[in-house]
Amino acid sequence: MTALIALCGLLAGTAEAQSLNARRLGMGGVLTSDVGDQTGSNIAFRAVPKGTGGSGSIPLPLGIIQYIADHPTFDSKDSTFNIYEVANVFLNPPLTIKLWQPEEVTGDISVFVAQDSLMVDLADIKRVIPEHSMRIGGVYHIGGFGKSFGKAFVQMGPLVHVQNSLELSDELRRALRDAVPFTGNTRYGLTDEGRAQAAIAFQAGYAFRALHRPSAGESDSPDPRRNHTTALYVGAAPKYLWGIAYGDAHSVAGVTTGDTLFAGSNPVTIDMDTQNRYAVLGGEGGSGSGFGSDVGTVLYYQNFELGVGLNDFGSQIKWKTTVRRHTYDDATNEFTTTVMARDEEFTSRIPVTATINAAKRIGRTTIAADIVTGDLRSSMHAGAEFWFGMFALRTGVFRDQNKMIQFAGGGGYRFGKIGVDLALSTNSRNIERERGGELSASLSLY
Amino acid sequence: MRRLIPIALFLPLLVGCGNRNLILTVDILSFLDPASKVVNYNIPVPIPSDTVEVFSDSLSLLQGVSDVTRAVAASMDIAASFDNTSGAATGDFLIYIASADSSDPFTTTPIADVPFQLLAGQVTNISTHVDASPALAEALTHDKAQVGVRVVFNGTAFPIQGTETLTKLTATVIMKKDL
Repeated sequence: MTALIALCGLLAGTAEAQSLNARRLGMGGVLTSDVGDQTGSNIAFRAVPKGTGGSGSIPLPLGIIQYIADHPTFDSKDSTFNIYEVANVFLNPPLTIKLWQPEEVTGDISVFVAQDSLMVDLADIKRVIPEHSMRIGGVYHIGGFGKSFGKAFVQMGPLVHVQNSLELSDELRRALRDAVPFTGNTRYGLTDEGRAQAAIAFQAGYAFRALHRPSAGESDSPDPRRNHTTALYVGAAPKYLWGIAYGDAHSVAGVTTGDTLFAGSNPVTIDMDTQNRYAVLGGEGGSGSGFGSDVGTVLYYQNFELGVGLNDFGSQIKWKTTVRRHTYDDATNEFTTTVMARDEEFTSRIPVTATINAAKRIGRTTIAADIVTGDLRSSMHAGAEFWFGMFALRTGVFRDQNKMIQFAGGGGYRFGKIGVDLALSTNSRNIERERGGELSASLSLY
Repeated sequence: MRRLIPIALFLPLLVGCGNRNLILTVDILSFLDPASKVVNYNIPVPIPSDTVEVFSDSLSLLQGVSDVTRAVAASMDIAASFDNTSGAATGDFLIYIASADSSDPFTTTPIADVPFQLLAGQVTNISTHVDASPALAEALTHDKAQVGVRVVFNGTAFPIQGTETLTKLTATVIMKKDL
């Protein structure tokens, strides 16, 4: 199991959600109350009047055509099968057109063996072994439906939290990444911490304007983004969380070499220890229950916007869990499973995601920036949009989950209530964690 | 004597390699007993084609991986040193390799024949590289392979006495996954 988790961790790398909103992507993925995720990142955005900046987006997944024309094989018996290309399909789903991608991980692997020496040169495969721990995770609110009643609203939808952190020991990392020879009496180990939980969120909220200082321009436009009004909007939405399933695993594994690396038929001692905790609706432990909330506020002053949104603030789910421990005995070559606890009360936490955004509108120009910090990672975006008649030009820059600076740009044309947007952007959503380029397209609703 | 070299440990490296190769280089010499690397020879009187067996051993190079890998090429590097204290001779340094099916590697045709000349009081070093040998690839495809080294002396001055030391015995196998 540890090996499986390790492999998954290795393959997963550190993924970040792929944006299909070409307007937002062209601005470097920046978020404002009228670009990007209008209501999901800051609950207070719900109360802000719809402006001229747009109210929604419909993705155009043109990358599927490219994928159908040219895609990697999933048949491991095929001579062209490359597991790293397959991993990239999942890390970077083929919804946008790939303009260029990192070079395919390829090359021969060289192994040198002597009785007291072992050196492994992974050549090109070293590119997929990170210098530090491999972490993947996030909180995903997937679909759902709701209804608004004036300033109040109710909604329900699934929530999934996934987190995995794989850490190689310094000795193992150097041996695999730097081709440092393996040595005797050394442990080459790894640790993995994985957690996944799923719940249905039932939410009721209220978002309203808490402060208002009228301006002269308000008679022409109710949009506080552009009418110089001073306004403060506040929203809060407590939620009940019905836990569907929870599982975590804490694993430690390694091999320890002897005095001489290959002195006999059993040259290394293998150790593996995994403890996992789980509960599942309809199975052991049953469902869980808990509460959480989304809160947010956004201030408008002289066409300047400053928003702070906290999603899953204080969100916790209580479970009755089963705890098992699996230990490998190298002497007997067998796993031993021990039930450590049944129906043990356990409270899981849904990590809070904080979004701070700022924007300034000058005429038909928008300049914006945001910081999004969540489970395992933080990202920063900055961008601008310039309108010339019905035509828009956009540019942006962002720091991604791999701490790389990425660049974006694009344009759009508005046809009445609908606009067509294209964006060129770089990203490192691949197992090599190297820069690639993509073209995305979407429709904007105004 | 049978030597186990746990190449199966490296099998996971082949998974997902596509059409790429696993190039495995094994220092066979390091797995031999030190005593088997050194042979003292003493040929007091003329005997046509006197033969000294340096070593014969069975190696498990690909144990556990032959079902899922195939050797596509193999090569071997061998070197030896003769510290000849007396006498003189020409001769041949012969390398044999055979699959485990063979009862004796010396019953097969040698994969390499390295001629040498020994003079009294001189150290003579010889070496050879056996490349793309079908016999070698065939033998290494099996779980076990037998390796033998034999020295044949044709003496010109007697007694021929000295020490032969095997200084290098390295096998390189290029493998592909065969899932």
